Amino acid sequence: MIAHPQMIFGSLMLAVAAFVAWVFWSLPNGSRPGLFFSVTVVPSFRDSAEAARIGSCFRMQVLLLVVIGFGLVLAGAMLDWAALLILGVLWLVAGPLVAVSLAHAKALPHAVAHSTVREASLAPRRSQLPGGWIVQLSPFALLLVTAAYVAAHWKQIPDRFPVHWGVNGVPNGWSTRTTMGVYGPLYFGAGLVAMISLLAYAVTHAARRLPASGAGDGERDHPQRMALVLLAVELFVAAMLSLVALLPLMGSPGVTPIVITAVGIVIGVIFLSRWQSHGISNSAASVHPGDGTPDSCWKLGLFYFNPDDPALLVEKRVGIGYTINFARGAAWVILVLTVVLPLGLAALAIRNRP
Amino acid sequence: MANARMLRIDLALPRPVYEQIVSGLRALLVAGEFVPGEQLPTVRQLATDLGVHHNTVAESYRLLAGEGWLDLRRRRGAVVLDREKPRPITAEKHGFRQRLEELIAKAITDGVPRAALAAHMAALAKKLGKPSKRRGR
Repeated sequence: MIAHPQMIFGSLMLAVAAFVAWVFWSLPNGSRPGLFFSVTVVPSFRDSAEAARIGSCFRMQVLLLVVIGFGLVLAGAMLDWAALLILGVLWLVAGPLVAVSLAHAKALPHAVAHSTVREASLAPRRSQLPGGWIVQLSPFALLLVTAAYVAAHWKQIPDRFPVHWGVNGVPNGWSTRTTMGVYGPLYFGAGLVAMISLLAYAVTHAARRLPASGAGDGERDHPQRMALVLLAVELFVAAMLSLVALLPLMGSPGVTPIVITAVGIVIGVIFLSRWQSHGISNSAASVHPGDGTPDSCWKLGLFYFNPDDPALLVEKRVGIGYTINFARGAAWVILVLTVVLPLGLAALAIRNRP
Repeated sequence: MANARMLRIDLALPRPVYEQIVSGLRALLVAGEFVPGEQLPTVRQLATDLGVHHNTVAESYRLLAGEGWLDLRRRRGAVVLDREKPRPITAEKHGFRQRLEELIAKAITDGVPRAALAAHMAALAKKLGKPSKRRGR
């Protein structure tokens, strides 16, 4: 039995929406015990009735927002209405963040003074990127091999070929056999991978290492683990854009992009679960409330702005990974290079699609 | 041993942060937690981890370098020196004795029993005075 393209797209979107919902659903318990929705609290607060009330209200909001976002994406795809589809994606990303800010506002009255104690490990910092430069260059190598393959089969590429398909499986976007038309996805992929590499470099060199507070914490090296995650993302991006570049030779993408996305989601779920459980068990031993940063520097509970902190990247209070210190000039450079520029280029590419 | 090599400061204390860093590092150096030739975090790294200004950490490193504990080199950061035989500086010894007397007097005033204080000081002197475990390996 061959699945209908609409069913495949719907299933994929449902998986993405479920993933987003799961990530935000597990947020309340995913931070350090002394933090609750970006607010410094006593560790026992998380077990209180008030915390349970705030947490369940947040989860209900997230569920509702994700269902609406999923509906918008699906409707946009069915009607082939790009604006609605983009709105749905933005809704899926921004909606739960608004819910976080609302929960943050509810938790603020329960804030306690943050610890004035600061601790730093004097162990040498492992600033080398995981696997060394050879492994770090593998996403670029993948793109390069694809480019070489495409060049070797240049004559087999049709003068005009489809690059985008509607939900019904019918091509609705075309490109031509030109250097930009064929190698464009690979250029874009190389740019994206370079931006993510820059982020990984910043994480391993300019992020604050969390204070080691409990047994076994000395082994914890968040920047290194984050760099590993970013490498996986680079490989994922390189694989997807290599696939796009091979489309003129393949004819139809088939189910390969879905398989790659599904594998990415499964790996993401496994990784996030392991990271969260590990992080909580380690930080449970901490005797200092919070993370040493003042609550007032966490705008809306999400954005860190602290001119007195020399750190460029600090661990997020909500979720996993790092966030930039918006008070540092270099943070804005990173933001532009890693978010604004790629999004702008993608928007430009979509707009100029033949 | 990872937790032994931790530096802790408290921003709420009236004592300047650079002094707290100097004291904390000096205690670790005296206890032999670092092998001569070992590298300490760079000024930028330590400042980032502690969330204090770079100049604060740089000043602390300069003071420790002045005491002969560290060698500050461009590009190599702060390197721990072999300092088995401290320089006998009489003025510093007198200053230390005065500070110690003041500290003990304050502890007694605050209600710390004299016997407990003596035992604690003896244990500390024994811990800091014994040969370095790392150097002995």
